Amino acid sequence: MAILRKIKNKIKAIKDRATKVKRGRSAVKRVTETKSRKKELLPESRFKNEILGAREVAVGTTKFSTPEIIKSSPRPMPQDLPGGYNENKIVLLVRDPWWMYTYWETTGELFEKLRHEYGDVVYHAKKVLRVYDVSHIKFNGRNAHSYYDIEIHPAATNWYINAQAAGRSWCVDLGLILADGRFITLLRSNVVLTPLDGPSLVTGEEEWMIPEEMFARLYGMGFGLGQSSPIGKAWQERVKRELFSGILASPGMASMASPTGAKKQLAKERKFWLIVNTELIVYGATEPDAKVKVQGKAIKLRPDGTFTLRFALPDGKQVIPVEANSADDIDYRVITPIVTRETK
Amino acid sequence: MNKGYLCIVLHSHLPFVRHPEHENFLEEDWLFEAITETYIPLIDAFEKLMHDKVDFRVTMSLTPTLISMLSDPLLENRYRKHINRLIELAHKEVERTRWQPEFQHLAVTYLNNFCRSREIFERYHGNIVLAFKAFQDAGKIEVVTCAATHGFFPLMDTHRDSVRAQLRVAVSHYESVFGRKPQGIWLPECGYYPGQDELLREAGIKFFFTDAHGVLHGTPRPKYGVFAPVYCKSGVACFGRDLESSKQVWSSVEGYPGDHCYREFYRDIGFDLDFEYIKPYIHPDGIRINTGIKYFRITGSDEKQPYSPALAREKTAEHAGNFMFNRERQVEYLYGLMHKKPLIISPYDTELLGHWWYEGPMWLEYLFRKIHFDQKTIRLITPSEYLAENPRNQVVTPSMSSWGWKGYSEMWLQGPNDWIYRHLHKASERMSELARSYSETHPNGVLRRALNQALRELLLAQSSDWAFILGTGTHTSYAVKRTKEHILRFSRLYEDIRSNAIDESWLADIESKDNLFPEIDYRVHQ
Repeated sequence: MAILRKIKNKIKAIKDRATKVKRGRSAVKRVTETKSRKKELLPESRFKNEILGAREVAVGTTKFSTPEIIKSSPRPMPQDLPGGYNENKIVLLVRDPWWMYTYWETTGELFEKLRHEYGDVVYHAKKVLRVYDVSHIKFNGRNAHSYYDIEIHPAATNWYINAQAAGRSWCVDLGLILADGRFITLLRSNVVLTPLDGPSLVTGEEEWMIPEEMFARLYGMGFGLGQSSPIGKAWQERVKRELFSGILASPGMASMASPTGAKKQLAKERKFWLIVNTELIVYGATEPDAKVKVQGKAIKLRPDGTFTLRFALPDGKQVIPVEANSADDIDYRVITPIVTRETK
Repeated sequence: MNKGYLCIVLHSHLPFVRHPEHENFLEEDWLFEAITETYIPLIDAFEKLMHDKVDFRVTMSLTPTLISMLSDPLLENRYRKHINRLIELAHKEVERTRWQPEFQHLAVTYLNNFCRSREIFERYHGNIVLAFKAFQDAGKIEVVTCAATHGFFPLMDTHRDSVRAQLRVAVSHYESVFGRKPQGIWLPECGYYPGQDELLREAGIKFFFTDAHGVLHGTPRPKYGVFAPVYCKSGVACFGRDLESSKQVWSSVEGYPGDHCYREFYRDIGFDLDFEYIKPYIHPDGIRINTGIKYFRITGSDEKQPYSPALAREKTAEHAGNFMFNRERQVEYLYGLMHKKPLIISPYDTELLGHWWYEGPMWLEYLFRKIHFDQKTIRLITPSEYLAENPRNQVVTPSMSSWGWKGYSEMWLQGPNDWIYRHLHKASERMSELARSYSETHPNGVLRRALNQALRELLLAQSSDWAFILGTGTHTSYAVKRTKEHILRFSRLYEDIRSNAIDESWLADIESKDNLFPEIDYRVHQ
């Protein structure tokens, strides 16, 4: 989760860079590809030619470049993922107690087969997702507790499904409804279990009996509501609200979201701004082996005897004696710049 | 006699980011910053506690990807370069601020801290994982594992072979690093789906953590809420998170890190100082980045005050005391209610301490000192110790949950990232097929290398971090790149293996880039 924080700082940086890198890399790639091909082509002659000269290399390369060898060079890496995998498949995933997600893929052959069986009507049929409640049973296609249909766009390949109740098991058919009302299953998904959106109604065996009041308090405590947790419907509602509005459930996100939140606020308030700072650069030169002090503190010279110092310059007067002693301590010079900063 | 237990859990994770093909790679800084600002300060704090004979317990996850990066020679050397440049910059800062004593003493502090970081780093020969191993061997911390590449399990449940592989690779990696088996696991993003505890049991793992509602909404109702662990039917224990203690540290509104005395994260000299001066210490393309040198405190208004370490230290001690006081009251209250010693599980993202909340490691150190010296109500404990002392617990099936946004899977399953699952699942299917095909024959040479690399690429594609970044909706290009790159590499390996045409030089190239888990065995993916 800390990643988000870091990334937020670098949003722009990464963006800029990514585009740059992309451009740079594709260029580099092309170069290395040709290079490696050359290497493969003529390991020995290339080595020899290199000693002789660049022109010969170029000639040698053209001489030995035959189509057969190019064929055996590495396949280029595809740049994008395929749209599908040419299969008939539907997968169901749980997002939360109230929502599921499904994606699917169908092949032309599947429809071809159906057309043989049912005729051209399959091409005009309504495409639906049939959502079965299969809680606590082994689903055989006919024994679901209930089902409901969701009409989908014919070209869709994925869908978010609103579950009608939390804490249930679900299975989904991708299917067709013909004009006469018949339902044809194209694909059947895996079974998933959505989580409960509150405490379980199952309280277990007698020795595990939990007094409602104690559980209520523990429940409230668990969500950080402290000792004053209201009991009964009200507490449950409050806990749920706080939990699922993200206040409590996503502390990581909340703490990270804060900086952005603050920034957004600033933007709303019209905060035009200006910052001005001053720095002072003191530079000079002497004999490379001289000893130099600035404001009484020894500094290091560059090999050529020059030096540069940089200071943040606050308001006020700065007296900056620069003293130099020759290596043999015979010569001595001092120069004292005086700088005053005043901000109006 | 104490009346309850406190279990502090620190989850330490970074995705595998290692790009030998680039001299400078911005995203590698995630690791470097974490080393300087979080991991080393924690090591420093733990060492001081041990030196002063303060008994403490903390539970830490170190993800296999993080461990792999921390013990990678290329990244170690890049960190050396990084810290040396910081030291050079700090030297310049000490000079530059000569006429501003309110900043100069901070510059000196940074210089000292960076030098100390380097010293600690070198003391462990560049591999700071060894420090955490030593703390574990000394009985002070319990290191738990995590999924191999931080795959989000609830969205992998249709392909349990991949969940198994994530677990088995993690467990054997842990053993090779720590010389023992992991007892527990931090499930990536706390993501749990009912039944997956069975896979944990298969991998020899004894406990895991969920967010509060994972336990509270479990079936049947947990008698003690989140204040005692429950056993899944598989016999694996599940510890639920306490949100009250979490909120005190995490919350942006009421949490400690927002105090006005603490250091302001968003005022870094990488952004504040003159471009020409700071240029050598930011990205070579001239992109301004955080250097880690920050001179201001939060203050609470736009006119930021200079940071005062003394003021911050006082506040840190106060907050450590406040946290302890609240846990004592919480434990006393719960003890009265439960007639049993409650267990408070307080998990945090490790990088919250230090990287985000600069004073965090010091806060933890003070907290441990105070708990050791100043009170008798609470006792610090690790999950393994707790289970050894309290082996009888209720049997409950936890509810599907995560600690992410809204508490379930939505962070990793929404418009901007739902497209990845079609490809990830297909790759899982193909990997299972490969593992089955070659489970008996177990080929040698280049074919085995290709099979192992295929599993590495699949695992890397499964990192929840990419979906997470995509889910945030901005600056997603790196996450898209990584997702596609690993799936494409996997697909190509799959096709090459199937058509018996492995391109060895290309294989060697990606082996050198995605080089984690050298001992991986593709046969775990079934």
